[in-house]
Amino acid sequence: MTMTTDKDNPDSGLLRRWVQYAIENPRRVYRVLFYVAIVFFMVTTLFPFYWLFVLALTPEGQLLGGGYLPDIELFGLSTTFPLPVPQGFNPEAFIAVFEQLPFHLYMLNSFVLAISTTVIVLVIASLAGYVFGRLEFAGRVPLMLAILAISYFPPAAFVVPLFEAFTGNTPIVIPFTEIPLFTPPRLLNTPGAMVMPFSAIFMPLSIFILTTFYAQIPDGLEDAARVEGTTRFGALFRVIMPLSAPGVATAAVLTFISVYNEYFFSSIMATSPDAANWSPIVGGILSFQTQYTTQYNLMAAASIVAVLPVVILVLIAQERIVSGLTAGALKE
Amino acid sequence: MSAETSREPRSSGPLTAVMRWMENLSDTQFAYLLLTPVFVLLGAVALYPLLRTFELSLYLTQLGQTEWTFIGFRHYIELFTGQKDPILPGSTTFLPRSLALSDILSSALLVTIIFSVVGVLFETVIGLGQALVLDQDFHGRRWARAAIIIPWAVPIVIQGMMFFLMFNSSIGFLTPPLAELGILAPTNTLNDTASSLFIVIVADIWKTSAFMALLILAGLQSINRDLYDVAKVAGASKWQQFKYITFPLILPTIGVAVLFRTIQAMRVYGLIDAVAGCETVPSLSCMVVTTFLHRQGTSAAIAFTTAAIIGAIVMGLIAWQGEDAI
Repeated sequence: MTMTTDKDNPDSGLLRRWVQYAIENPRRVYRVLFYVAIVFFMVTTLFPFYWLFVLALTPEGQLLGGGYLPDIELFGLSTTFPLPVPQGFNPEAFIAVFEQLPFHLYMLNSFVLAISTTVIVLVIASLAGYVFGRLEFAGRVPLMLAILAISYFPPAAFVVPLFEAFTGNTPIVIPFTEIPLFTPPRLLNTPGAMVMPFSAIFMPLSIFILTTFYAQIPDGLEDAARVEGTTRFGALFRVIMPLSAPGVATAAVLTFISVYNEYFFSSIMATSPDAANWSPIVGGILSFQTQYTTQYNLMAAASIVAVLPVVILVLIAQERIVSGLTAGALKE
Repeated sequence: MSAETSREPRSSGPLTAVMRWMENLSDTQFAYLLLTPVFVLLGAVALYPLLRTFELSLYLTQLGQTEWTFIGFRHYIELFTGQKDPILPGSTTFLPRSLALSDILSSALLVTIIFSVVGVLFETVIGLGQALVLDQDFHGRRWARAAIIIPWAVPIVIQGMMFFLMFNSSIGFLTPPLAELGILAPTNTLNDTASSLFIVIVADIWKTSAFMALLILAGLQSINRDLYDVAKVAGASKWQQFKYITFPLILPTIGVAVLFRTIQAMRVYGLIDAVAGCETVPSLSCMVVTTFLHRQGTSAAIAFTTAAIIGAIVMGLIAWQGEDAI
């Protein structure tokens, strides 16, 4: 465009006319800028997934050959195609993922850990959410601040004593004294060693989400149930929780995704990346990286398989995730 | 419901007795009763380990020996004077030896801070951009929002694998062009600290900008739309509307989001472990994990220092926000 304005021909006014038009119609320019921005964000967020597909479909022999960015002829000009393309078509990698390692078992472990943590968190956080959302009592604010503060601590601050405790060799001692409490069983390589820390670190978010939702149920509904003769628990589980179903679903989805995505305890509390040791997908994918060091197509295929459940969950439960992250997390 | 529940008080048995006892508790007593499971869980898995970490950091522990020697704050002193550096993996130090670039990049403390500050800075800018786009009404807005949220939901290990596969020097197609620009090392990219730190920061920005965007979007949507009508009548341009209405009103939201993300970024471990390894990019959490099996005392001292730094930021947040923090 700049070239044409330099020359003195009838086209010279093109840029000037375009600028003139833009000044007169600034909305058009904003519209264009808006579409440029949205395309940019779509491409940058989705590109890594596309690259995984490119690698997963490329046959193993072609992986190191390069040439992912082919040269193409465009209007007589030779340019580099801006998107990488697969070097062949080999969907068998998606089957090999399950043959070389029992990847389905790692996935199953992840699901079991995520679902059991979600159930525990929902039950305990419901009780706490009811208390913080609906009861006035001494110490409410300091207790909420304490739970908030605990949720900020890094997992690294918990791991040394927890690993020691889950090894089960030495009795638990009250800190700064020598009074032994009890000797814990050996929990390493069992679901317990992961579900317990997961529940503790992901519970505060659910408590805050449920507190918000339970506080919104009108007192009259609970009072009516109580006049009818329900117990306090009855009112919580038969009136308040069903009426706050969206809140409970939000807390469940966020807890499930958080556990499924967790890395720190998942990689430490299973002492070897072995499906028999309850190692979740973290162990499975790292095994491909360390054992099959050049089979990049398998690493990519395993990643695609393992990411599918959360992608589907995001597409289904988008509204819940957004409301939970904004309502709950702005408080966190 | 009423038919079923009205029968409850008349039946007998231990469960009914417990229920009746609960009905007679005061609100405060009932509240603490219901909070017992939270106290037990957080006490056992968070409070006990935290105190125990501090206790361990004051002792000299030896592998296979149950007798510990109390040494006070010697672990911390040695950590800050550099005497602990030889037992950290590779050439890692805790504090930098000098302000030369290579020394800065081998300091676990500074690498963690650089990662957090640079990462969160770009996440805020990009998150703001994404939020402004999502705040518009357009066809397919739902799908655009889903696409922007998806990286947030990707497991850390898969995020790490994506960027490992994009920048690995044998197949990563992005390495040669970026190496030509002098940003990345052309060979053994993921064994080079500066290159790996760059890649890890890009990976973090890719994943967590969405989180920032959602928080800022919530702030944007709470702005009273009438303000923009007034601005239009007064003849304000889009940029002036952003500068004088939007930005000042979402600034508090951005502040909270930035602090919250900084706290999370200071914990970084999994991403580094999956992309480059803890020897290449030393972070504080990395140092805890690489030392805790054999040198519990040192590991606990690093862990507690990390917790103290984060704790200081949290205290600032709570002091600033007060009760609104809840």
